Amino acid sequence: MSRLTADQARQLAARVVALTQADAAEVVVVSADDSLTRFAENRIHQNVTETDTRISVRAVLGDRQGVASTNRLDEASLAGCCAAAVAAASAAPADPAFPGLPSPVPVQTPVRAAEAAAGFGPEQRAEVALGIVRQCSSRLIQAAGGVASTLQTVAIGNSLGVDVGMETTSVRATVLAQTDRAGSGWASFHGPDPTGLVADALGDEAATLARRSEYPADLEPGSYTVVLAPEAVADIVDFLGYLGFSARSFEEGRSFLSGNLEKRIMSELVTISDNACAPESFGLVFDYEGMPKRRVPLIENGVATGVVTDSYWAARTGRANTGHALPAPNAFGPMTLDLMMDAGETTLDELIGSVERGVYVTRFHYVNAEDPVPVTLTGMTRDGTFLIEDGELATPLKNQRFTQGAVAALNAVKGVTRDRAFFDVMLGSALVPGLLIDGWEFTGQTG
Amino acid sequence: MRDLVFAAINAALVKGARYADARIVDSREQKVSVSDGRVEAIESGESFGIGVRVIADGSWGFASSAAVTTEAAEQLGRQAVAIARASALVAGAPVNLADVGTFDTRWDGPCEVDPFAVSLEEKIALLLEADKAMHAEDAVKLTKSHMGFFRAHKCFGSSEGSYIEQTYTESGGGITAVAVAGGEVLTRSYPNSHGGNWLQGGYEVIRGFDLAGHAPRVAEEAAALLSAAPCPPGVTDLIIDGSQLGLQVHESIGHPTELDRVLGDEAAFAGTSFLGVRDLGQLRYGSEHVTVTADATVAGSIGSFGFDDEGVPAQRDHLITGGTLTGFLTSRESARAISRTSNGCMRADGWNRIPLIRMTTVSLEPGEWSLDDLIADTDDGLYVETNSSWSIDDKRLNFQFACEIGWEIKDGKRTRMVKNPNYTGITPKFWNSCDAVCSRDHWKVWGLPNCGKGEPMQVAHVAHGASPARFRGIQVGVGR
Repeated sequence: MSRLTADQARQLAARVVALTQADAAEVVVVSADDSLTRFAENRIHQNVTETDTRISVRAVLGDRQGVASTNRLDEASLAGCCAAAVAAASAAPADPAFPGLPSPVPVQTPVRAAEAAAGFGPEQRAEVALGIVRQCSSRLIQAAGGVASTLQTVAIGNSLGVDVGMETTSVRATVLAQTDRAGSGWASFHGPDPTGLVADALGDEAATLARRSEYPADLEPGSYTVVLAPEAVADIVDFLGYLGFSARSFEEGRSFLSGNLEKRIMSELVTISDNACAPESFGLVFDYEGMPKRRVPLIENGVATGVVTDSYWAARTGRANTGHALPAPNAFGPMTLDLMMDAGETTLDELIGSVERGVYVTRFHYVNAEDPVPVTLTGMTRDGTFLIEDGELATPLKNQRFTQGAVAALNAVKGVTRDRAFFDVMLGSALVPGLLIDGWEFTGQTG
Repeated sequence: MRDLVFAAINAALVKGARYADARIVDSREQKVSVSDGRVEAIESGESFGIGVRVIADGSWGFASSAAVTTEAAEQLGRQAVAIARASALVAGAPVNLADVGTFDTRWDGPCEVDPFAVSLEEKIALLLEADKAMHAEDAVKLTKSHMGFFRAHKCFGSSEGSYIEQTYTESGGGITAVAVAGGEVLTRSYPNSHGGNWLQGGYEVIRGFDLAGHAPRVAEEAAALLSAAPCPPGVTDLIIDGSQLGLQVHESIGHPTELDRVLGDEAAFAGTSFLGVRDLGQLRYGSEHVTVTADATVAGSIGSFGFDDEGVPAQRDHLITGGTLTGFLTSRESARAISRTSNGCMRADGWNRIPLIRMTTVSLEPGEWSLDDLIADTDDGLYVETNSSWSIDDKRLNFQFACEIGWEIKDGKRTRMVKNPNYTGITPKFWNSCDAVCSRDHWKVWGLPNCGKGEPMQVAHVAHGASPARFRGIQVGVGR
C-alpha cells in the first residue's frame, strides 16, 4: 500500500461522501509516509518507517452529527465506517447551534511537496546522522537526535461540493551534544526538504555549544533580563495559540484577549499573525473542513487584533470563517497552526551585546501552563544557558526553572532579531525571531 | 494471523535478520463528550496494521503498514532488514537481547459489560445528567463530561518461536467544571483531571464512577475557588492526595527509572535520568516510608497485560525498597546491558510503533496512616488535590506541579481553601522528606491514558497506585 496522491485522495474522499447515507457528509483523508532515524550515544538505535492512510467521516442528519474513522480501505470497511458515523449522528440530540457543513470556497493550493524529500530514504538519513555524529565523536562528545521525513497527502470533500487536496513534505533534524563535564548543546533543522540540511554544520553547532556550556554554575532565583534564542520563543508563542488565540477561549472568557481586543497588551515590538499562506510556510493552505486558511493578524504592534475561527465558531460569533478548523469532532475549537512573529531589526549577538547582566537561553524544556488567562508558564532551560555579563556570554549556568506570565513577558520585549526560524511546536509550526525581555522570573534550578 | 506474523518474520530471516518479531494490532475506540449541555463529540475509530522489527548487521530496523496480507507482510520483513542495514552505517556495539522463554498462548483482560454494546443513547444520557448537575452552580460557565472506550487485539510472534495473542478493553471518563469570573478561570475535575480515570474493564467502570453523583460537589468547589485566597508562598509540610501523588510517582520515579532513559536513548527528546546504573542498590532515593513497585499484574489496571510487546511475561518488581533504588524498568536489550533479565516493560501504542520501555502500574506502596490522623498530626501545612499542571527537567530532578485546589492545615485541622496551589522540589530530596504514607484503605489505582514518550510520539496507557502522603518542608506557592 502506497501513499495516495492528492488526486487519489480527493477521489477517495468523494467516493466515501457518496457512500454515506446521511443528509450531508464530510470526509477527511490523510495518507502519509513517516520515517525517522534516531541516534544516541553516537550510534543509530532506532530506525522506523510507516505507511498509513486514514479516512474520517462526519455524517450529518439535520443538525445532528457523528464521526467515525478507519484505516481499512476495502469497500466493506468503508461502508461500515460510514454506517458508524450515521449511527452516531442518529443517537446525537439535536444541536440547533450547528450551522451545517461549510459550502465550498475556492482554495489556491501551491505546490508544497518537494521532490527532494521523496528521495530522502534510510541511507540518506543515515548519512546525515553519520555527519552529525562525526562532528561530536571526534571531540569526544556524545550525540543524540533524529533525522525525520514526512510525506503527507490530505484531502477533504463534502456533499456540498468541497473538494480540496494537497501534498506536503517536511524534513527535520535535531542534535543534542553532551560532554562528560555537564556541557550540553543543541541545534535543529526544519524545512520542506533536505536542501539546506548540512549535517556537519548542525553537528558542529551543537558540539561547539556543548563545549562552551561545560561546568555550569548556580544562579540565584530572581528577576533577570533574558535573551531568548528563537527556539525558546517558539514555546511561548505556541502556548499563546493554545490558550488564547481561539474564538472559543475568547468567547468563553478564558483568553488573555477576552475583553482586550483593540487594546495594547504587549510591547509595540510584538506583531503576531497566523499565516499558512506565507511564502515561507510549507504546510496545508486549507483547514480540516476544506476552507481556505486566511492570514489572521492576532497582535499588531502590541495591540490585540483578532482571533481565529472555524465554521462553527464563525457562525456562533458572527465573525468571518478564518479557516482554522481541526478535524471533527473538535472539542478544542479553532486553533492556530501556522503562527508567525514578525522579525525585528537586530541580531542575536547585538541583543546579547546590549545586556549588562542577564541570562541567555538556547531553548526550554517541558513547558506547561499554570494559569490560562495570563498564560503563566513554568518550564526549564536546556542545552546552553549562560549568564550574560557586560554584553557577552559569560559563565554557563545550570538549567533554570522559570515561572512567568507569557503575556507579561511579551509586554516587556525590548528587542527582536531580524533572523527567524521555523520550529515544530505542539500545534503545527511557528516561525519566530529571538527576543530580549526584561524582568523574566527564574524560580529555581536543577539539582 | 499466525501465518501473517510468521510470513513477515521468515521473510526477514531469509534476508539475513538475526532476530525478527512481528505484531498485528487490531484496535477500536469510541469517545463521547458533552460540553455545556451540548453533545460535543460522538466518535468511533478503528486501526489495523502490522509492524515488523528486526536485528540485522547488529542494528535495529522497523517497518510497518496498514496493508495486512501475506505479500505485504513479506515485503515489510525485507524492508525492515534494509532499514536495519542502513542503521548499521552508524553502528555501536551489536544489539543483544536478554533471554526469555518461548510461549504459545493467549491472554484476555477483564470486561463485564461490553462498552461497545451499550447504546450511545445511554452514554449520552449519563453525561448530560452530570453536565446538567454541574450547571446548577451559577458561577460555573463551562462544563465538560466525557467517556471513552478502547479495545485492542494483538498478535505477537518472534523468530525465537513465541506466538501470543492478547485482548483487553479499557474504559474511562470524567467531568470538569470551570468557574469563570473577573479574568480568573478555576477548574475542578472528578475522578481526575486530564482525561479522568481509566481502568481495564467494560461499561461497569463508568457506572462505578457515579459521575452525576459527584457533579454537584465538583461544581461547588469550582465556584468556591473564585473567592478562595491565592496559595501563600513559603516552605511548609505538604500532604498530597492519591491522584496527584500518582502523577508525582509517574514523573519523578517512573520516568527516571526507565532504563532506556538511564542509558541515554531518549536524551535528545524527553531527556535522560539523574540515575546511573551504578546507583542500583546504592542510591537513597527516598525515606524508609518509600517503597515503589512496578506491577503488570494488578487486576483492572490499564498498566496490566499478560505479556509485553517483546513477549516477556507480566511481572511485579521492586524499583525502590524502603527508600533504596533496587530496580529499573527494562527491555530485553537494556536488561542485558545490566546483566539482568527483562522485567517486561516494553509496549508500543500501535502496529506502527516500536515498543519502548513504558511504565506498567508503578505504585507507591501504602503505609499505615489514615488521612484524618495524618492531617491531625500536622501543625502547619497544606493539603492539595488533583493535578492541573506538571513540569520536570530533562534529568527528572527539578519538578514543579500545580493542583486544582488546596486547603491550609492549621493545628491539625483542614482550614482555609486556597486556589492555584503549586509546589516544587528536587526529586531525591523530596522523596527523602516523606515521613508518612496513608494506608491501603486510601490506596487506589489511577489510570493515566496519555503518557507521551519517544519519537515518533507514542502515547502509553499506564497506571499508578497511591494513597495520600506527607512531605516535610516543601516550597509552595511558587511565583504566586
